[in-house]
Amino acid sequence: MSSRNPFSNQRPLWGDWLVLACALIVVAFTFYRFWQNETAGKLVIRQGDRVFASYSLDQDRTLDIHGPLGNSRVEIAHGKVRFSSAPCTNQYCVHHGWLSKVGQVAICLPNQVSLELIGAKRPYDSLNY
Amino acid sequence: MRLFLTCCLLLLSACSREPLYHSQSYVFGTLVDISIYGEDQQRAQALSDHVFKDFQKLHDRLHAWQPNSELSRLNQSFAAGTEPVVIDDALASMIEEATAWSVRSGGRFNPAIGHLIQQWGFQRDEFTPVAIDDAAIGKLVAAKPQMTDIVIQGQQVYSKNPAVKLDLGGYAKGYALDRAADYLRSEGVRHALVNIGGNIIALGKHGEHAWRVGIQHPRKPGPIATLDLEDGWAIGTSGDYQRYFEQDGKRYCHLIDPATGYPADQTQSVTILVPPSDNNGVVSDVASKPIFLAAPAERVDASKRMGIDHVMLIDATGRILVSVDMAKKLRWVEQDVIAQPLL
Repeated sequence: MSSRNPFSNQRPLWGDWLVLACALIVVAFTFYRFWQNETAGKLVIRQGDRVFASYSLDQDRTLDIHGPLGNSRVEIAHGKVRFSSAPCTNQYCVHHGWLSKVGQVAICLPNQVSLELIGAKRPYDSLNY
Repeated sequence: MRLFLTCCLLLLSACSREPLYHSQSYVFGTLVDISIYGEDQQRAQALSDHVFKDFQKLHDRLHAWQPNSELSRLNQSFAAGTEPVVIDDALASMIEEATAWSVRSGGRFNPAIGHLIQQWGFQRDEFTPVAIDDAAIGKLVAAKPQMTDIVIQGQQVYSKNPAVKLDLGGYAKGYALDRAADYLRSEGVRHALVNIGGNIIALGKHGEHAWRVGIQHPRKPGPIATLDLEDGWAIGTSGDYQRYFEQDGKRYCHLIDPATGYPADQTQSVTILVPPSDNNGVVSDVASKPIFLAAPAERVDASKRMGIDHVMLIDATGRILVSVDMAKKLRWVEQDVIAQPLL
């Protein structure tokens, strides 16, 4: 086989190394760009016993989620999310402020709305609170 | 090559369809979530639906402020005098178990103080500030409602003290956990995680590794630490952060000291781990309360009384105190956590 191949005896040229280096850079970049983005966090909003919706944090958006007490307003902006207003009296959920890291959770028990930030892998199966 | 590709595809499909079923609902005024691993999805759904229904039934029976609940009717008869009423075996054994823990705690765990809890406005769905009536609180404490005032003879029950008003809010979730674990085991479920608010019990594992639980930070949106909850273990947290109100800049939480009649203010949260036993769900619920209420110098004694070795406590200043056994289990979420030994 190898004796028929006209290139078999040649050592790689500098251009070959250049192509190889470029390929590696492209792989590293795409890995970093897309893989990282996936783990950077997805928001899961739950209301009552169902998943209301899942959103990427890569957008600016305001949502109204209807619970037993009324509307909870959820704001997504610049990779973060928060309860910007809620109909509950103690406002515990609103006081949490912005969430941005995987594993962070804000739960409004009175209005039965929860926000959870998840990544490619959940840091835990359930939260003891 | 074809074999290799087939293997890859099989591996990929195994990745995408982890046999994990998860569902949640709001019962007992809190968030309940159930994870079942390694069962067919439909069966897992049927099993967890059954557990949710059972929880809802229990919640309705033991509701502390719905006037027509079984517990409220019992409380009405306690208040009316010493005429015995008939209760079923399940309720009788719940009262007996709660009484035993109350005695063991030296009265710090006391489900007979329903009137005090109501006085503080915590027998409601929402907690708005109440006018603090020192005289009324003093009277309720002086009436000394105790679990041992309740007399059970067969199915007949009465209270020697009309001031007794049962509120099983510190017991029912633990009891429900034990029931759920028993039911799932009897149905042959090997791997499950049941979480009722601050109380979790683990059966088996999540695939290759143990079930992993996050412990809520009392002042931040997310976990302060995580730990592996091994097969049969239970974990319970009592905190001042979900049920409380604020008045004149002071926080009043739902955990009321039966001795003073006022909410505890020395502690933000207590988390305990309980090794496998046939009632460790109950233990995970009742045993954290006396530790939460104890004065700083009495915390270790309070945990020993309740037979608890694994404790993490965050005090009113945010200091983190951890028992030797608990320290071995915890993985801190943030890098710069300074924990001190609870000795």
